[in-house]
This record gives sequence, structure tokens and C-alpha cells, in this order.
Amino acid sequence: MDPLPNGNNVAAAAAPPSSSSSKLTESLKLEHQLLRVPFEHYKKTIRANHRLVEKEVSAVISALPHSADHDDAIHHLNSLVSRLQGLKRKLEDGSRAERLQAQRCRARLDHLESADGDNISEWNNTRLKRILVDYMLRMSYYDTATKLAESSNIQDLVDIDIFYEAKKVIDALHNKEVAPALAWCADNKSRLKKFKSKFEFQLRLQEFIELVRNENNVQAVIYARKYLAPWAATYMKEFQKVFATLAFTSNTGCEIYKVLFEPKQWDYLMDQFKQEFCRLYGMTLEPLLNIYLQAGLSALKTPFCYEDDCTKEDPLSQESFRKLAMPLPFSKQHHSKLVCYITKELMDTENPPLVLPNGYVYSTKALEEMATNNNGKITCPRTGLVCNYTEVTKAFIS
Amino acid sequence: MELNSIKDAFDRVTKKQKVSSSKSQEAIEQISQEIDLALSRIQSATPQPDHNVILSELKAKLKEMAPLGQLEGPQKELNLALSKYTKLLEKQFNPDISKSYRNVDFDFHTVNQIIASHLYRENMFDIGDCFVNEARVDAVVDKKTHFLEMYRILESMKSRDLGPALKWAAVNHDKLQQNGSDIELKLHRLQFVEILQHGSRDEALKYIRTYIAPFANQHFPEIQKLMACILWAGKLESSPYTDLLSPAHWVKLAHELAQQFCNLVGESIQSPLSVTVAAGDQGLPTLLKLMNVMAGKKQEWQCMKQLPVPVDLDQDFQFHSIFVCPVSREQASEDNPPMLMSCGHVLCKQSITKLSKNNSTRPFKCPYCPTEVQVGQCRKLCF
Ligand SMILES: [Zn+2]
Ligand SMILES: [Zn+2]
Repeated sequence: MDPLPNGNNVAAAAAPPSSSSSKLTESLKLEHQLLRVPFEHYKKTIRANHRLVEKEVSAVISALPHSADHDDAIHHLNSLVSRLQGLKRKLEDGSRAERLQAQRCRARLDHLESADGDNISEWNNTRLKRILVDYMLRMSYYDTATKLAESSNIQDLVDIDIFYEAKKVIDALHNKEVAPALAWCADNKSRLKKFKSKFEFQLRLQEFIELVRNENNVQAVIYARKYLAPWAATYMKEFQKVFATLAFTSNTGCEIYKVLFEPKQWDYLMDQFKQEFCRLYGMTLEPLLNIYLQAGLSALKTPFCYEDDCTKEDPLSQESFRKLAMPLPFSKQHHSKLVCYITKELMDTENPPLVLPNGYVYSTKALEEMATNNNGKITCPRTGLVCNYTEVTKAFIS
Repeated sequence: MELNSIKDAFDRVTKKQKVSSSKSQEAIEQISQEIDLALSRIQSATPQPDHNVILSELKAKLKEMAPLGQLEGPQKELNLALSKYTKLLEKQFNPDISKSYRNVDFDFHTVNQIIASHLYRENMFDIGDCFVNEARVDAVVDKKTHFLEMYRILESMKSRDLGPALKWAAVNHDKLQQNGSDIELKLHRLQFVEILQHGSRDEALKYIRTYIAPFANQHFPEIQKLMACILWAGKLESSPYTDLLSPAHWVKLAHELAQQFCNLVGESIQSPLSVTVAAGDQGLPTLLKLMNVMAGKKQEWQCMKQLPVPVDLDQDFQFHSIFVCPVSREQASEDNPPMLMSCGHVLCKQSITKLSKNNSTRPFKCPYCPTEVQVGQCRKLCF
């Protein structure tokens, strides 16, 4: 069974083609992340494969012995042969991954290309699902994300596998383990450096803090020398502050130092990781859903939304949406936009507004129909006032 | 947007990638061959060669081949294609749509509740349950119950079973009447047509008497027409009333039922999440352009009470009448309502006060026509 039909398709069909196609273009331009993320993934695989070849080939070449006795030479060369065979196998796997990822990049290009006026309501539906999956993945709701993607057959349009890479690190940080996070940093060293990322330093600080917490003072000093000192020049202040915890220990009463030992530092690391992760893959730092919701709420928000007679069809008639919209700006209009209370249609020169003796305004269409069906009598639906159609006057809105 | 040029750029990437990886394979193959060759020479029984000479020959050979050097050229070209594609994406798309995002507390519990309701409303109950579990959402049980019932009725209608729908309409008879809905009659009519097609004439007559006749005082002509149909029982397709058989009636009525159902349980007809995201999609381009203009004024953006520019949304999203005074360009409000002048032009109250120079007895000229307007004759409007 299909969900309720979406009324938007009606508007899309009614709008003049030129404006609706330019609207579509504008909307497609918002899809940077859709193309960028799988491409970053693809690029990463290409680079990893290339690095593997470089590393193994130069290792093989430099491992060639100058001289050896006869049997050793044979043994050595045989081992190089099998090393090269191992490399070939790994490269086959690598190529398979490359092909898969290239295909995913293409699938997304095709998806963008498929959007046109005829299927726009279905396309918008898919977009909402993509946006929801993105939100769920960022919030670590992996099961629902996977289910939603599978049931809608949009696996190629969402980044579940990529987020599973993040899951390992997040789960570990949740258990207060930094090793997977550090491995991830090592994996992405050059790019993190390019972004001037502080994340690895922060992980090291946390490891140091844990040593201090357990009063492994000697080890803490060794650790600091080895892993913190290289960052000291860049982050001198933090380095000094954290290093000073050695003097204060974990039961310090001093506020500045106490916070460093709080468990929420781990939550902070998790958030930090998510940010770095998104940045690395070219994702927006906020979930797409939040971005679209904020923009939509601002565009819809009017002072009238908070009145009792706000129509149910307005999302801002609902408490939850009002709550989200609270810190957002109101929309702005440069020109009057008047909607008939009865027909919900726009009142413009085609369908001009008419004023009842009590000052209530309705569209010509609505009042004409009412008058025809009721022998020229008009009943104001909001006040119950009854009058003759001849008593209404035109209002000119400029 | 030039999707074709983006596709071309991507094809270039995959082409260069193929060249580069086949070059790698070639190089590995060559090295393997050279080593294999050296091995077989060393192992060849007669004459026993000097294996150290073979080793150094192999070394020299590999050095001459410079396999890593061979990879450099294609790799460079690949890197160029890769960075070109990235740049093209950045140029053709909005590289960061979060620019207009306000760093405010965007409560995720509330967002989760909205999502859970949406999933139930869109007939995704399993996924909704999974989400409620995984995200620990509470307080959407009511909505789930409502939508479960609605989809149960609609599913039955899909398999041409009107039972649940009729039952629902009977239970809600009074409320439906109050809302001016004739959906109950429409459901009975559909059922009547089913009986006419597949049942006996007697049954049909009995059905009309029992279920349709009570609607007589409001829908008399309709009922007369249905009575006439009885003459064509079993062969309605050759009657003047064939259109009653159209499957479109089922689709339309299912849609209408969904609307009435939502209305009765206090739900909107469309998912508010879909509506808001669709509005966001239409609003974002404008907001992002605004952010470009406001670059460097992030602070100002964070505390703005009203958007500085209008965001044009389709009419579907127009839920309220907004009157903008043509003189002051201000949006009317409760304190500053729109006023109808005797000529029919409309201004907001403050503009009228200004034009009359605060003198309620002195007439002033309407800015849009030659009429002399008296403040006392201006009437407040309610849109
Ligand atoms: Zn509203
Ligand atoms: Zn005038």
C-alpha cells in the first residue's frame, strides 16, 4: 500500500515549466554530498591500492640479495615470487572495491539525472528517505538506517558502509578505548594534517589523562615525552595544562583540572571524531535532516502559526515543530500573499478578495459558489454572520 | 547544471584509473617474470651457473626497468583527473549546504519523535518500531494506533473489501456529518454497485432500503439514480451508468477516506516532516545565497529575528494570509491590522495614521487613487 499521496506533485504540475525546471536545478545543486562522499571513498581505495603497490614493489626490489649461497638465493627468490603473488591477490581485491565504488558514484549521477517533472514527487520521497538514513547513520541508529535503505532499495544512494567504518571507532571510544581511533588517524594522516586536525592530539591527551588517573606516573611521563611532546609546539597551552594534571591527580578540587578527568571528555572525543570523519568524506558537519528542517521551518514560520486557528496542515501547528522552530527566524514577505479561508486558494487579480460587512475577507470564487447554492445568501464561516452577496465589496490589494 | 560534463569528468577518472592499475599489474608481472627467469637459470642443472652473477644481473635489470618510475606518469594523470572532478563538483554544486545552519540547540529527542510519527504515517510500521526501539523514542503510541487502523481500512479497500471502511464510517457517522462529509454515502454507493454486479436484484434493493435511503433528505437525486441502476443489475456495463464501475472511484474514495480519517483523529493530511523538508528544499537555495552576501556576519545571522529576504515557496506551503502594507512594506499584525479604505484600497493601520497626520477627522488622499479618505470610515480586515 502506498503512503498518502503527496500534494506537492500537484503544485509541481501546475507551475510553469521554466520555473519548475529551474527550481529543480537549484534543488539538485544541494546534492553535493551525494556525489562527493562515494567519490572520496573511491579515491581512498585508489590511493590505498597504489600505496600498496609502491610499498611492495620497492620492498621486493630492495630485498634482492647481493650475494648468497646457492640454496639461499633460490629460497630468497622463491619468497619474493610468493610475495608478489600475494600482492597480486590483494590488488585483485582492491580492484574489485574500486569497481564497486566507481559503480556507486555512477549510480548517484544517474539518480540525479533521473529527476524530472514527471517523477518529481517520487524523487522527493526518495530524497526524504536518503536524508533520514543520513540522520540515522550519524546518530548511530544503524539497524533502522539499514532497514529503511533496504526496504526502499536505495542502498546505492546512502553511505551505510562508510558509517560502519566510523562505528568501530565510535564503539571503541564508547568503551574508552583509543586504539581504533588512533589507527584511523594513522590511516588518514596526510588528510587530517591538511585540515590541521587536532583530533590525534586530543586522543593522546586523553590517554595521558587515563595514565594519570591510574597513577601510572612514570608511564605517564614516558608517554608524554613520546606522544605529546611532538604536538607541544602547536598546542602549547593545552599541552601544559594537561601535563600539569600530574601534579594535581584525578581527585583534584581545582575546577580547571577536574573537568579533564570527567567521563564527558569521552563524549566530547566521540563528537570530535564524528566531525573529523564527516569533514574527511566531504559531508556536511550537521545531519542533512537538520539542515533541511531548519531552512523549512524558517521559511514557514509566521506569527500566525502560533495562533489557535493555525491549520493542521501547517507543520508549525504542532508542538514538536514549534519547539524546533523556536530559535529560528521568522519568514519574510515583500508582497501580500492572501489565502482564502474557505478554498485555501490564493486571492489575486484572477480571484480577487471580497469583504463581508463584518470585515472578514474571502475569495470571489468561494463566495460566488456559496451565493449560487444559497439563493444569494452568504454565511461567514468564522462568525456565522449572514448577509447578501450584494453587500460584499471588493478590496484592492497592491 | 551540467550533469553531462560531470559524467564526462567522472568517465575520465575511471579511464585514468584503469590505465594506472593496468600499469601496476604490468610492472608486477614484469618483475615476476624477471625473477622467475633468474630462478630457472640458477636452478638449471648444467652447466652450473654462478648464481651471484645471475643475482646481480637481475638487480641490474630491475633497476633498468625502474618499475616504480613507470607508474609515475599514469598516476600523475589519474591524480589530475581526480582533483579536477572534485573541483568540478565544488563548482557545480553547493559545496556546503550547512552554511545557513544556525548553531542552536536542535533537540534530537523532538526530531526523533517527528521521525517516528512520520514512519508510522507512511505505512512503515516495522521500520518505525525498529526506530522507536533503537532511538528510544516515546510518546508516539497514539499516532501508531491511528495509522495502523487507517492502513488496515485502506488495505481492505485495496482488496475490494469495504467492511472495515463502512464500519469506521458508521462509528463516526455524527462527526462526519458535522464536517459536511458525505463519505459514508459514497462508501455505501460503492458497496451497492458491488452487489449490483455480483449479487441479486433483491439484495441490491434491500441494501438501498437499509443503508442508502436514510441519506434521502440530503441526497435525493443521487438515490434516484442508484434506484434506476437496479434495472441493470448484473449488466451495469451496458447501462447509462457505466461510469459507476470505474476503478477510479475506489482510488479516489480511498484517498478521501484517508483525508477524513486524518481529519477526525486530528492529524494533518500530509506528513508534516515531508512538508517541512520540501519547504527546506525550496528555501535553502535562497538562504545559501543570503549567506554568501552575509559572509563574515555569522554572528548577525545567529540572532536575526526575521529573515532579511523573502523565501519563495510554492502555494502548497502557504498556510496563512500575509498582508504586506504597500506603503510601509511592513507585515500586518494584530497591533497593526490591514484596513480597508472607502475606495477599496487596503493599507495597514499605522500607514493610515501617518497619512492622516494623526488627525482622525481630516480626510487624506489615498496613495493609489484620487479618493479622499476619512479615517473613521476605514474598516479593519480579517483575512
Ligand atoms: Zn501556521
Ligand atoms: Zn484608493
